[in-house]
Formats: sequence, structure tokens, C-alpha cells
Amino acid sequence: MGLDDWPYMLGAIAGLVVVTVIARASFFVLPARIELPLWLERALRYAPACALAAIIAPGVLAHDRQVVISWDNQQLWALVAATAVFARTRNMLAMMAVGMGVFTVLRLLG
Amino acid sequence: MTRRVSFRDRWFAPVETAAFREGVRAMAPFGVAIAVWGFVTGVAMVNTGMPVSIGLVMTLTVFAGSAQLAVLPLLAVGAPLPLVWVTALIVNLRFVIFSASSRPAFVHLPLRQRALAGYLNGDLGFALFSLRFADDPERGNPTQWGYFYGGAVVNWTVWQASSIAGLLLGGLAPSSWGLELAAYLALVAVLVPMTVTSPAVAGVAVAVVVSLATVRMPLRLGLIVSVVAGVAVALAVERVRTSVAVRARAAGEEVR
Repeated sequence: MGLDDWPYMLGAIAGLVVVTVIARASFFVLPARIELPLWLERALRYAPACALAAIIAPGVLAHDRQVVISWDNQQLWALVAATAVFARTRNMLAMMAVGMGVFTVLRLLG
Repeated sequence: MTRRVSFRDRWFAPVETAAFREGVRAMAPFGVAIAVWGFVTGVAMVNTGMPVSIGLVMTLTVFAGSAQLAVLPLLAVGAPLPLVWVTALIVNLRFVIFSASSRPAFVHLPLRQRALAGYLNGDLGFALFSLRFADDPERGNPTQWGYFYGGAVVNWTVWQASSIAGLLLGGLAPSSWGLELAAYLALVAVLVPMTVTSPAVAGVAVAVVVSLATVRMPLRLGLIVSVVAGVAVALAVERVRTSVAVRARAAGEEVR
């Protein structure tokens, strides 16, 4: 199984389409009497951010299921710089340029 | 003889041409951001080892950049499919709120038009639509639908073109360039606007710590544990803030 395994990937893609349509069309399709309860809306507001953070952090800080927090982690510095730029400017192009730029400079120096 | 209903009339709500054009013009300035995001997604897919053919199928059908990028590390290690789907669903949960919010404009349309409109209702489209019609009492008319589809067409076209370009060109870059980092940076662009309130910041901080502490859990279940912990803390912080605000208001009234 993996990214070049057709049956596995087609299964994955089919499920991804289904969960995307379920999420995006949910309240367009549900009967009008069903409303989004306030408690659920509040929980839903935080879940995607937490999921993204829980994907980004190990992706940048862990290798082979081992957390390595070190000054030599070029990806970490690039991520910090890019996050700072995006938080200030909300400019996707600028944040990509800064993030990849910092990474490349550190990589060539290191 | 039965009258043939065109594809457009079956799948799309009626649109007012001027409103459609307005939607196109409103989305156009975001073209660069959509293109960067799509290109990065395409590059990330081939760079983690996905064949271009599978990447094309994924891009043309899924149409959910953050979910696609989020499940890439899971797919690369052959994680169980239910975990892949649940992860994508969690990342997509923000769309449930979007759909509940834009619902009045679409709820009276035929089912397949609602389903397609929902599928096209991405982050930018939702933001522009709710901004434009925030104080429009009439919900659901050819002006609103036209504006919605106009934005969606630009978003879809630019996204597909750029992610296909990324799929085709991504393989040419040497792996030392570290382009997989770009995928994480693209996810930051979705994360940052959702993390502006203090409950959200607290939840995200907890999710980061828990995700690192659970990195050795089997089947990458640490992700689910991190989301549950992060949401629980965010809701707790929200409750504390609300009760502090209520108490402050009550105290203020007593003084008066």
C-alpha cells in the first residue's frame, strides 16, 4: 500500500470525494428543519485548525516517528518565518517565497 | 416527445449574467493565491511519490486542497483508509459551518443543484459570497446564484490548471530542494486565519504538543487524539472567557 498502489489510491480518492461533498453540501442538502446546534458549531470551529496543527507539527518536527527539536532544523525555521509573514500580510506568494527562501539559504549554508 | 433539459439547467441554478460577471471579477484578484496554492498541491503530490496519473484523478475529483495535502503523509505510509477519510473529514469540517451559513440562498433549489453548489463552496467562494450578501434580505435569486457561480468558475479553473501544472512540473525538481516543505507552508495559510481568537490559539497549541507526544502511536491515531484534546481545551478556554465576561458585566451593573 502507498501512493503508487492503484486500488488503495482509488479507494482513498473515492472516500475523499465523498467526505468533501458530505462536508461542503451538508446543510444545503439536509432538510430545512434540521439546524446546526450551537454547541456543535463551536466544536466544529476549532477542529480543522487543531487537525492542521497536528499534521504540520509532526511533519516538520519528527523524523521516523522520533521528535527532534534542534537548532539545525531548517524546515522549522522556514516554517516560523513563513508563518510570521503570513500572519502579518495574509499574502500567500510572499509567505511561500520567504519560507522556501529561508529553507534554501539555511540548506546551502549548512 | 420530451423536451431535453440542458446540462446547465439540470446542474446549475439560473443566473443573471451581470451578477455572474461580478462574481468573476470579485474572485479574479485571488487568482495568484489560488494558483500558488494549487501549484504547491500538485508539486507536493508528485514529490511524495504519487504517480502523475493518480494525481490527476485526485485533483480533478476531490477539489479540496487542504484535505488533499493533509492526507498525503498518511497515504505515503499506507495508513488505513478509514483513518485517511476521517482525517480529511475533520479538515473539511469548517465547510459544514459554511454550508449552514449560506444555506438560505440554496435550500429551495433541486437536490442536484444544491449538491453541486455545495461541492463548489470552497473557502474563498464562501468568504466572498457571505461578504457580498451579508445584508441582503432576499435569500436565493439569480443575482446571488450568478455571483456564486462566477466566483466558483474562476476558483475551479485556476485551481485545476495550476495543480495540473504542479503535477507535471513537480517531478523535475531535485528532492534536495525540499519542496515537500511547501505543502506544510500551504497548510499554514489555511491554519492562520482560523487561529485568531484565544480559544483557537490555545486549542492549536495543545494539538501541537499532543501530536508530538503521540507521534509513536500506531496507525497515526495521534492525529485524532490531538484534535479531541485541542477542541476540548479550546471549548474550555471559551467557557472561562465567557463566564469572566458575564461576571465582569454583572459586577459593573452592581457598581451602578
